Formats: sequence, structure tokens, C-alpha cells
Amino acid sequence: MSGWRLVLRAPPALRVDLRGITPAALGGLSAAAVERLPVGHGNAHAALAEFFYVGAGGADGTLDFEGDLSRFDRMGWQMAEGRIRVEGHVGHHAGGGMRGGDLWVEGHAGLLAASEMVGGTFTVEGNVGDHAAGALPGSMDGMRGGTLVVKGNAGARFADRMRRGTALVHGTAGDFLASRMVAGTVAVGAGVGAHPGFGMRRGSLVLAPGAAMPAMPPTFVHAGGDVPVFWQLLARELARHGGPFAALAGRRIARHLGDLAADGRGEIIQVM
Amino acid sequence: MNAAWVRNGVHVDDGFAEAFPMKATRILVTAHDAQWAMHAALSATGLATSVIGCGCEAGIERELDPRETPDGRPGLSLLLFAMSGKELARQVERRVGQCVLTCPTTAVYAGIDEGEAIALGRNLRFFGDGWQIAKVIGATRYWRVPVMDGEFVAQETTAVVKGVGGGNLLLLCTDTDSALAVAQAAVAAMRTVPNVIMPFPGGVVRSGSKVGSKYASLSASTNDAFCPTLLGLAANSALTQETRCVLEIVIDGLAEADVGAAMRAGMQAAIALGAPAGLRRIAAGNYGGKLGPFHFHLHKLLQQEAAS
Repeated sequence: MSGWRLVLRAPPALRVDLRGITPAALGGLSAAAVERLPVGHGNAHAALAEFFYVGAGGADGTLDFEGDLSRFDRMGWQMAEGRIRVEGHVGHHAGGGMRGGDLWVEGHAGLLAASEMVGGTFTVEGNVGDHAAGALPGSMDGMRGGTLVVKGNAGARFADRMRRGTALVHGTAGDFLASRMVAGTVAVGAGVGAHPGFGMRRGSLVLAPGAAMPAMPPTFVHAGGDVPVFWQLLARELARHGGPFAALAGRRIARHLGDLAADGRGEIIQVM
Repeated sequence: MNAAWVRNGVHVDDGFAEAFPMKATRILVTAHDAQWAMHAALSATGLATSVIGCGCEAGIERELDPRETPDGRPGLSLLLFAMSGKELARQVERRVGQCVLTCPTTAVYAGIDEGEAIALGRNLRFFGDGWQIAKVIGATRYWRVPVMDGEFVAQETTAVVKGVGGGNLLLLCTDTDSALAVAQAAVAAMRTVPNVIMPFPGGVVRSGSKVGSKYASLSASTNDAFCPTLLGLAANSALTQETRCVLEIVIDGLAEADVGAAMRAGMQAAIALGAPAGLRRIAAGNYGGKLGPFHFHLHKLLQQEAAS
């Protein structure tokens, strides 16, 4: 038994909902059964084979996609195990509710990537849209565990209401970064928009040297005491993601606490 | 005595040390420099020579290079042993709370990953009076507790594993000076063995005990068979006129093989000094083999030495 490789036939006319198409769901199925799997297409359902050529892929438990899947939403939605690799872009809600396994996207991801993610690792080589690592509309908590790595840039409201886990942006993050954050770790490598940490209750927002803010938000206060032990533990963990986070452990930090308009126990760590 | 078991003029008894299952954990203590790490470690492992009166047996396993510690600072590895997981949890919390949390600049981490989890920083966090913050870094959960020098960082839990306690060697020597020198050399050699501690002062105990007492309230009493002052008085004396000082080394380890390796290393070091240094005989304490499941036969240990 091997994994599966799905190659895009042509961009679909309407958006396609890929929920349920995970390595675990496809494991043990025949090629014909995989081709017949229903996926949402607009307000109807269609067979998976209408959109993809289905063939044998890599190792067992893997699922490879090839093509521009910008119109395909919910890639890896609630996946719990296995590995999905996308050689192209993906649509909205990629990695949403993900509980485990490994999701890798070579291109960009749309809105709400990794929303309410619980576990596993989600890597986006390109950019992610607004509300990545955040909460679904009406939900109290955003990302709740696991690791999201964005090698490109992130849109607005990155890690909104995030509660646990680690979310990194190698590039820039948009406005309201880590807004209403409850806990967890967010790190940005190359710049942030307006109002970072707005309403932040707890958690750590790490800004690499390239992501310096022009001014600290007025509801954050400078922390008097040093936290060298915590910083070494965190910096060493971030270092394994490379790029702007590779050499943080040896650098000085300035720490600000807030948002004092909320719980006030969050921290913005500016690496010098 | 079998002449075949005379090494460098030292008689090695055809006996065995009898050891018991215990519950064990390892914790790592780091600090701003090695001196403060040592202060915390000595304090945390103080009054931990015997479970009979201390609740646990504890000691410093080894010093840690900064490259080996989670936070890149100097540290020490401590091993703690108790007769139950519940008592071990109580001892860890009390000792870390009173001796590590209180010591300037320290942090504490689990030194064993696999096993039943017991609280390390999980309950100590309440010292933070609400200002404490949990932090998950990687897959590990820590507590950050505000203290007057900054922040005390403690991993939430450590793991409990099965251990072996009570391995021992009895070094029968001609006088106090020679017994101390031989015992110190043996302990120094045993400290190079990983996963073991020698919990008594300097690794050596002079008040070896036997099970029971003429006094009903005591569970253990002096090992009269090896007390030189009772030679001629105690009917069961195991000494001769030339053995006037006996010292014992007790070993606790994470596994049976670790205790055996430490005993072997200790015997090798003692035998290397041998009769010219005043060592006459090596024996081991046991209870007839009926109480403890781990039996460390001295001859077998030395045979393994020869085979390896």
C-alpha cells in the first residue's frame, strides 16, 4: 500500500471544499473508491476524479497534490495524522482544526489558514491571508496547539485569539498581529503592521531584529526584570526554524508587558 | 576463604549485596554559575541518606556542562529515590520548593522523559500568587514564577521510573586512615558511572545497619557483626584482630546493571590499592536473599570484569 498523488485536471468553475480528503480517509481505499469520493463544489457535490487525476503516490499515509489549488478550500481540514504535500497554492481554511500530522504547502494559502489548529505542523512556503492561526467567526479561541510556520508574509489579525502553540512568520505580519491573544508564542521575522498585541491577555510575541516596531503600543509597559532562562529556552526552540530566528539566543531583548487594557500578562519581546 | 578470590592481597567474599526496588527520578538544576547550582543541589539533596529516616535517598549524579542543559547554563543532575511514587512526589516537591526555588538564579527541569509524571513545578507555581504564567515551549510545559531576582522557571513535571536501591560494599581495613583512603578511592571511581548515586556523606557510611533491633520501636540497628569494638563480645562478629575499621558504600541506581557497574568500579579501585594500603577484605550486606530481588554477587561482578 502506498500513498496517493492527485494532479489537478483544470481549475474548477466554483470553489471546491476538500474537507474529508485526508491521508487517513484515503488509506486502504482502492483507486476507484478514491476517485468516487465526494467533495463540495459550489452548492453541490462532485466526485474527486472530476478535478484530479488520481494515482499512486509516495509512502503510506501521504497525500500529494499538484497544481494551483487556490480555489480548493479546507485542505487538510481537521487532519489528525499522515502528511499532505501541496505543490502549488491552496485556498481558504487550509489546516483548519488540524489535530496532528504534517501539512506542507509550497505556494500561498488563503484566509483563515490554521484557524483553530490543535496539533501537528503546518508549513506554508509562501504567504497566508488574513486571520491565519485565528478563530472561526463566533468562536472564542483561535489556534490551540501545534506549529504554524509561514515562510512568506501574513495578512491582518494573524494569531487573533490564539490560545496555545507556536506560530511563526518569517516575513511581515499585517495589522492587529496577535490581537486578543490568550497564550502561546508568535514570532515575526521582518516587520509588523499597526496595533500589534491589541487586547493581548497572555502569551509571547517575539519580534526578530528585522521586525522592529516604530513605537511600542501605549498600553504596554517596559518590564524591569530580566528573564534570561525563559528567553534561552524560547530562543533555542525558535532557532530550529532557521531564517530570522536562527540566532536569537545570543542577542539581547527588550520586553514589554501588556495589553494593560486586557489581562496585561502578555509580553512583546523585541530582539535587539 | 577461597584463595582464588584474593586480589592484590584482598579477600573478596563469596557473598552478595541485596538490593530493593525503589522509585526514582532525575532532575536537572541550573543556575547563573556553577557555584549557585551547587548550592541548590547540595541543599536539595541534604538529609537524604536513607529512606529509613529521610523519606528519600538523593545525591548529585554529576555536573552538567552548559551545552548539556536546556537553558545553556551550568547545572547539576540529581537523582532521588524513594520507596513509593507517592513519597517520591512529596519529597521532590518539598526539596525543590525549599531548596531550589529559594536559591538565587536557579531553574529546574526533568532529567527523565519516559515514565509516570509527578509534579515538579506544577504545584510550586502557586507561590506566584496568580502572577505565574505557564509556557509551552516545543512539547514541554514550564511555569514561570516571579521571584525577587527575576523569574523562577520550572518544568511542570518530571518522570518516575523504577530504580534499584541498596547495593553496597563493605571495605574491611586495618585502620581508620587506610579505610578512609580506600573508601574515597572507591567512591571516586563509582562517581564516574552514570545513573547512580552514593547517598551517604562523602558517599560513605560508617553506621552500617542490620534489620531489626532489640528495641521494638527500631526497624534497624548497628551491624554488630562488623563493629570492631565488639570483636570478642558479639558472637556473630565477622572481623579479625587486623580489621579494625569497616566502611560501607551504599549505591542507588536507575537500573540493576547501573548498580552492578558501580560496585564493580568501586571494587576495582579498592583492590588496586589493595593490601599495601590497608584493605584486607571486601564483603557485602544482605539479608539472606529473602528480602530484596536484586542480588549482586561480588565474585560474579569481578568475573564480568575479567570477561570484559
